[in-house]
Amino acid sequence: MLTARGKVPLVTRQMLVFFALLFSYPLWASAVGLYDYIGVEIAIWIIYALGYNLLLGYTGLPSFGHGAFLGIGAYAYGLSQLDLSGGVWIGLLLAVCAATAAAGLVACFLSHRRGIYFALMTIAFGQIFWFVAIKWHGVTGGEDGLLNVLRPELGLGVASISLKSNTTLYYFAAALLAVIVVILWRVLHSPFGAAIQAIRMNETRARFLGYRVWLIKWSVFTLSGAFAGLAGGLFCLTQESAYPDVMSLHASGFVVMMTLIGGGFVSFWGPVVGVIVFFLARDLLGSVTEAWLLWYGLLFMAVMLFEPEGVAGAWGRIAARLGSQKVAAPAAGKEAST
Amino acid sequence: MKQRLTRLLLAAAPLALAAGLAAEAFAENKPLVIGLTSDASGQYANSGASDRRGMLMAIEEFNAKGGVLGRRIETVHIDTETTPATGSRVAERMISQHKVGFLIGAVSSGVANAISQVAQKHGVIYLNTNSSSPTESGKNCHRVKFVWDGNGTNFAQSAVKSAIGTYGKDWLLLTNDYVWGHNTSATTRKLAEANGATIVEEILVPQGTRDFSSILLKTQQIGPKVIAAAVGGDDQKAMRTQVADLGMGAKYAWINNQQDWPDVYGLPKENLFGVFGTTWYYKLDLPGVDDFVKRYQALYPDTKMRVPGNVFFNGYWATRSLLEAVEKAGTTNNHAVIKRLEQLRIPAEVRLQHDDAYMNPKTHQMQQTVYLATANLESDDPDHLFKIVSRSAPDTIADRAAEETCKLESFEDTPVYQP
Amino acid sequence: MDFISGLLPHILNGLALGLLFALIALGFTLIVSVMEVINLAHGSLFALGAYVALLVISPDLSALGPLGEAYAALPLGARYAIALVIAPLAVAVVGFGLEVCLRRTYGKKKEYGLLLTFGAALVIEEAIRLTWGPAEQVLPTPEAVTGAFLAGDMIYSKYRVFAAVFGLCAIGLVWLFLDKTPYGAIIKAGAHDSEMVRALGINLSRLQLLVFGFGAALAGIAGIILAPIWGLRPHVGVDAVIPAFLIIVLGGIGSFWGAVAGGLLVGLAVGITGAYATDWSILSMYLLLILVLSVRARGLFGKKTVLET
Repeated sequence: MLTARGKVPLVTRQMLVFFALLFSYPLWASAVGLYDYIGVEIAIWIIYALGYNLLLGYTGLPSFGHGAFLGIGAYAYGLSQLDLSGGVWIGLLLAVCAATAAAGLVACFLSHRRGIYFALMTIAFGQIFWFVAIKWHGVTGGEDGLLNVLRPELGLGVASISLKSNTTLYYFAAALLAVIVVILWRVLHSPFGAAIQAIRMNETRARFLGYRVWLIKWSVFTLSGAFAGLAGGLFCLTQESAYPDVMSLHASGFVVMMTLIGGGFVSFWGPVVGVIVFFLARDLLGSVTEAWLLWYGLLFMAVMLFEPEGVAGAWGRIAARLGSQKVAAPAAGKEAST
Repeated sequence: MKQRLTRLLLAAAPLALAAGLAAEAFAENKPLVIGLTSDASGQYANSGASDRRGMLMAIEEFNAKGGVLGRRIETVHIDTETTPATGSRVAERMISQHKVGFLIGAVSSGVANAISQVAQKHGVIYLNTNSSSPTESGKNCHRVKFVWDGNGTNFAQSAVKSAIGTYGKDWLLLTNDYVWGHNTSATTRKLAEANGATIVEEILVPQGTRDFSSILLKTQQIGPKVIAAAVGGDDQKAMRTQVADLGMGAKYAWINNQQDWPDVYGLPKENLFGVFGTTWYYKLDLPGVDDFVKRYQALYPDTKMRVPGNVFFNGYWATRSLLEAVEKAGTTNNHAVIKRLEQLRIPAEVRLQHDDAYMNPKTHQMQQTVYLATANLESDDPDHLFKIVSRSAPDTIADRAAEETCKLESFEDTPVYQP
Repeated sequence: MDFISGLLPHILNGLALGLLFALIALGFTLIVSVMEVINLAHGSLFALGAYVALLVISPDLSALGPLGEAYAALPLGARYAIALVIAPLAVAVVGFGLEVCLRRTYGKKKEYGLLLTFGAALVIEEAIRLTWGPAEQVLPTPEAVTGAFLAGDMIYSKYRVFAAVFGLCAIGLVWLFLDKTPYGAIIKAGAHDSEMVRALGINLSRLQLLVFGFGAALAGIAGIILAPIWGLRPHVGVDAVIPAFLIIVLGGIGSFWGAVAGGLLVGLAVGITGAYATDWSILSMYLLLILVLSVRARGLFGKKTVLET
């Protein structure tokens, strides 16, 4: 997944396909048995997973406590609406700021860590935030959560639109997602993007090459926390409430699962596919059988056993075998051995 | 649904002189779908299953006599995973995909809140069958939500009043460090102090505590007469095991807020220490109770739980009362049904409790008899776990604070919904 | 309150608790140090051990006729002892199966192995729920270790003393096995240098299979010992896997004594905060971890391992 250096287009062909599907979703959703609300949720989690993949897929740093930043974003948004009665934009801005600050703080402890110790420290911090969220009920509402965070009007300069309907909200989330995709693509093709991938391939070598590894690891963690915060703010807006559950270890594990099942290590689009597969599998299996986790766990094990590079990896291989040029992975570079 | 309607209309057109009439008749008879939102995994999976059996028995009874308003009742169940985010999604899905008429079921208050917010937004009536958090009918009440279980405050009042004279004045509070625990302990404290008891200490138990040894050690060092425990969920299960092992259940007078039947069924009786509240017991000495138990056993011959408990009872009555309200209202229009439910009053002999039960229109919480029970060590019957010690009539244990904190949305702010 | 009647009982209680924590972490640390696999299914195997023990102690053998009756007539102590042998073996067999699956991930990214075990954790937990139902169960314990005794004017649990002593013995036996037997020497060699083990003509994949099975069996044993204290429900394993994690990181990955020391430290922290600042008792574990890791990057006794690259 080496992103090519040099000139890259602002918007690629894959992006256009993705945007077309994204913005037409409400038109065909009900025909395939889906509904707008799950679309909103998927869009939000894609933002979260794409930001997370900066860390996992591109820098090679597995965080198992990322739910904390999603949760902090959600609480920050909720509090801004309940206590300050700010608008959507202020709320989302605060969500991003709060999560960025928290991630920046945690990153100070983490940036000197590697591999397993990095992962385990993220678990410890994730648990602390989760615990605080439950304990500090004066602010967070404890396990009852922050409730009745009503969806306000969305101010757009000249006009404002109501987000009450899930369809409108979907378009709003989709628009944000589209912007995020473009931004992330830029970031990954900047010198910063090259630096984080150098760290993934060999941290020691990156250091010898003159990269300030500590600082880069710190910034990528913080940046990815910011995306999680945005997703959290949106999640609170959607759910009209914020709960501590998203901060639990289990929920943090799910984003890792989604990212890997889609193929976050080999493709920019991996997390996108992973989130969609996760939600659809959960929604479909959950309405068919109560033991959906059993089947989901088996599916997940099978992916790790037979196709560890996930959907994107499989697609890449199939495409390569067919001799096609249209490989899903925009940067179909070979996985460098570490 | 729309497609089926069109197809039926097309089929009916050549036959009927008045195609409109045919469509009308069909619309009358289209099944009424009810969404069951009980947890099937997570901490409350077991209670969720019991809850659901209760709802299904009520639905079965209605279907046996031809459904409600001539419509067959169908159900759809999706696991809410004891997770609020899933609760929101499931509610949205049921309303937009399955076009459910009503939503029923909750054990966890977090899930109940998540579902009720979605329900309120759409105007869908939601029954919170089994979450006993006082906030459900207080701060977090909604016009479309009706709460069917007794809450922490009801149970605390019922227990404290009868305990104070009997056991002594030095009280220790064990409080689960979250909203439900704090609310319940606050009620207990107020009542205990008003009745002349002293709270010697309040120990906060973090959620997720599995080892109570240091807490129990400290309790012994303090040496109170009465221990009032507001510890719930898995924490309570772990505590129960450890108290039983130490034999501390007999040394102090324990007041446990509530014990749900699915949480204790199948456990040794020694694990049930102290007194605790419940809204119903299968051996209440009332006419009709035996028949109710037999109906349960006939419908669920294979389930491990051989007799119904309070969770089942709440699930059953919530569903039955809703369907009766629909029938009386003669429509599924949500405003009409809500108004019916707000005036709900069930005579004691029908409800199978000692007092008439009624809905408080200000808080939407069912006001009912609360029983105080303790372990029944005299009987050899493994199902006969409880001994009823006393009972309190609804008015003596009402949650008055809830009436002040609950602000129901007006009918104008509640969208009209007619499934 | 003076020291003897005030703090001392809590210190002792904390140490006993620490032995239990160390027991929970034992299988986890063995697998991670030899195989460099973080076994997230540890908690589910822990639960599985307790459930299989439940099956062995009070089975429904009516189909077997007189043989079944004879078994049911055995004293509880005997059935409990049988369970302590059979249940870990059963869990070891599941562990073997998991290791065979894991082989496909060796030599690839460490995350793959970790996530495979995460999937396995979900599957095992759901399988338990389907087999035994979601309800709370009770694992019976022999008469001799049930009930309480008085020391001074305090009540102590006999079972807890038994469990702590059992934990101590288990730790001792595992240490003797690793340190004093040729098998242990091979395992330790495998932990440090798998090339060397191969060069010595030892079948590395069989070694890994056995180590994983052994680690799984230890998880099962911990489950049997802890079940009468924590209670038994399908998701009880979640309560075990997080402390296990913390403890090995605290002690230093790959270090046997580190895990033991980590367990004792966590036990003390939880025990003492449990007495004086109860509401912080769970958070204390995490704060302890961050404190230690901020000072010693690899935990108390940790060395640099392959897992860091």
